[in-house]
This record gives sequence, structure tokens and C-alpha cells, in this order.
Amino acid sequence: MVRAENLFFSYSGLPPFIFDDVNFEIRDGEYVSVMGENGCGKTTLMKLILKFIKPTGGKIICQAKRIGYVPQRNDFSNSGFPITVYEILNSYRKLLKVKDKNVVKKNLEWMGMSSFADSLMGNLSGGQSQKVLIARALMGEPDLLVLDEPSTGVDINSQKEIYAFLKKINREKGITIISVEHNLEAAVSNSTQIYHLAGGKGHLCTPKQYAEEFLQRR
Amino acid sequence: MLEYDFMQNAIIVSIFISVLCPCIGIFLVLRRYSMIGDTLSHASLAGIAMGLMANQNPVLGAFVFTSICGALIEFLRTYFKKYTDLILSIVLSLSVGIAITIISSGKIHANADSFMFGSILTVTRLDMFMVIGLSLVSVLALIFLYNQMLYISYDEEAAQIAGVRVKLINYVFSILVASAVSVSIRIVGVLVLSSMIALPVATALQLGKGFKATLIFSVVFSMVDIMLGLFLSYYLNVAPGGFTALVCVAVLILVLIFKKLKTIF
Repeated sequence: MVRAENLFFSYSGLPPFIFDDVNFEIRDGEYVSVMGENGCGKTTLMKLILKFIKPTGGKIICQAKRIGYVPQRNDFSNSGFPITVYEILNSYRKLLKVKDKNVVKKNLEWMGMSSFADSLMGNLSGGQSQKVLIARALMGEPDLLVLDEPSTGVDINSQKEIYAFLKKINREKGITIISVEHNLEAAVSNSTQIYHLAGGKGHLCTPKQYAEEFLQRR
Repeated sequence: MLEYDFMQNAIIVSIFISVLCPCIGIFLVLRRYSMIGDTLSHASLAGIAMGLMANQNPVLGAFVFTSICGALIEFLRTYFKKYTDLILSIVLSLSVGIAITIISSGKIHANADSFMFGSILTVTRLDMFMVIGLSLVSVLALIFLYNQMLYISYDEEAAQIAGVRVKLINYVFSILVASAVSVSIRIVGVLVLSSMIALPVATALQLGKGFKATLIFSVVFSMVDIMLGLFLSYYLNVAPGGFTALVCVAVLILVLIFKKLKTIF
């Protein structure tokens, strides 16, 4: 689904590189959590996968036909914008040229957000707005879902609901998930693989291996 | 006063302005770009000066030069990503420089003051047809690009993922802004044009509604502002531009007071 080949990247285009000859492959149907210290390049990796930015060297190939994206809530502080939950989803449906109008209602029901359709997005809690953004990301029935720190600013109960939902759509619908994570427990218990970034390099491992490595590092 | 031809022209032009300006303004305000209206209104003054110097219709001159400046602002965004306000200063300097140089050269045989302060007396039939044409094309373009524009303003990255050609639409939008500015300049004038773009939207935002409702209320407030401004300025014998700006502020204050009273009672 996503493959990096000899990937180099720095924002200036010059060394030191955030990604220094990085190679990895994420197969269809995987749930990969991207972990690492602050500033190691997790969000930059998402931006490269989504083609918001171009690699300095090498390439990153994404074979997904349809991508759903849930941005980091800290980046997405557009809380004063006058827009209702229904407008967010319905406008996105039209952009994706999805003809079935019921998909908005269906996705809101799926996330347990039907009663908030007419609420302003800026009036929702962190967990509620995250659920709306997930409902939006699932609008075009994506084969790849990319999330940037889905639990940031979200209360514990909503976190549990969101992770249970993500695990369900990954295991039952086979949607590939790549999620930048700070939440170790969520990453270990939900992911099929963890991609650990450090010092410009990265490696894929199983959640069990990652947990053992984590304990050793401490 | 409605029996006068100039007043009929002014009213028709005002109706079109009151629809077009908030339709453009809502996207500018929500993108924190409302000062672009001020910059482009100064660009339109340079366009008017060039139009008059070339013995062409000044509204057409304003539209062409303001479109070029709108596209230039969009182009410069690539080079000044972290200093977008600086771009407005650059284009403002260029425009004011051109306008003052041409006006002070004495090569214009017309009164540029009416464009600075707005005037209902100077709206000709030709101006009126140009305003109607530009307004209709612009509003139709906005209806066609509604969802794309909404998403570029709300979440540009999501728009990109959905396949929206963000850069192209930003260029098209800058031409629509230029169109709104050039059609408004006759009545409202250069100096207070940004008030017509930003204030009805600022007033509608106080109502705390969704996007479509905010847009509709912006148009309603805009119509109230400009019609009151036009009629009252006629009876007071003052420039319509300045007085419309005062009405815009007064309506905003009234809505703020009403909102405060609603929370108390």
C-alpha cells in the first residue's frame, strides 16, 4: 500500500536530514502506528505519504486509490469557523462526488454523532470533533486511513471508543491504517505493526517487540 | 429621488454590490485575509487612473489591473509563506505608487475624487451594465465553486486530499475578489471599500450560525447597510461611501448590543 525507497528529506533540502535513506513497506490491511520522540519526523512522514510535501531524495509510493485523512487537532484549531457538522460532511461528500446523500447520515450514526448534525463544529468537545473528522475521512470509503495523533485533546472514554472503532474497521473492513501515535497503550493493543522513528532512521516491528524494546530503553 | 436616472442606476448597482461583496468577503474574512480588500481597492485606483489615461472605461481598467494584482498576491504567497501581510504591503505600495504618479502627472482629464469617496452621480449606464455583467459572472462562479471554496477556507489539506486544485481555485478566487472590488468602487469608493467586504460578514458571524446561514445573513446585512447608506447619504448630501461605512459599523454595534441583551434576559 505504501512504500518508501531510499527516502531522504529535510525542509531546507540540505543535511541534516529528518529521513536519512529510509526504506519501509506497509502492506494492505495493516494497522501501523508511527511512534517516536517529539520532532523525529512523524507528522512529516504523514505529509510525505499524503504528498503535501515532496521528498528531497528517493521516493515514497502510495498505491491507495482513496485516502481518508484525520489531521492533528492542535494544527486544526479552526474553532471559530462558522460551520455545522452536517455542512462539514455534506460539502466533503460533494467534493468526493459521492452521489448517495444518505452517506452523511450513515457515517454520523456510525460514529454516534447523529444528534450533533446541526451543531457548530467549534462548540464540540475534543472527542466529538475527532469523531466528526473520522466520519469525514471515511466519506469516500477509503482504502487507506491516515491519522495524526487521534487521541490528542480527547477524553479517556472517547479515546477508547475511537480506538475500538479504528480497530474494528481495520480488522472487519480491511482498511489500511497509518496513525501517528503518542499513546503507547493504544499503539500496542491496536496496531498490527509499529514503525519506530529515531535519528533519521526507522524500523518496523511487531507491537510485542516494540513494547519489549521500550521497556529495555527505560 | 427615484425619478432621477442616476439614482436608478445607483440603486441597481448597489443591489449587485450588496450581494457580491459579502459572497467574496466571507471567504476572505474566514481565511484571515480581509485586508486584501483594502489592498485591492488601492490597486483598483491605479487601474482607474490607467483606464482614464488610456481613454478607456475606468471600471474595466480597475478590473484588469486589480485582477493582475490579485494574481500577484497569490503568486507571492509562494515566496512569503510566513509573512503574508508583507505581500499586501508590497502590492499596496506598487498600486499607490502607480496611482499617485499618474494622477499627479496631470494627464487625467477627469475627477479622480469620485473614485476615492464614492459617488452616485457618476454611475453611467455603461458602468451599470459592466457591474451587472461582472457581478453575475462572479456570483455564478462562486455558486459553482462553493464547496471547493468552503473547504479551501476551512481545511486546505482535506480539500487537497479530496482532489481540489487548490492553487488554481485560489487564482480564480483572486480574480473574483478583483471583480467585486472594481464593481463596488463607483458607489463605495476606494477608501472604505474593505468595509463592504468585511463588516456585513463580521455582523453575520455574531449570530453564531453555520456557513450557509452566515452567508445569507451577510448578504441581508450588506443590503441593509448599502441601501440605508445610499438613501441617507442622498438626503444628507454626503459621499455614499463614507456614510455606508458608518451604517455598516452602526448595524454591527446594534447586533452586538442585541446579542448581549439576549444573554442577560
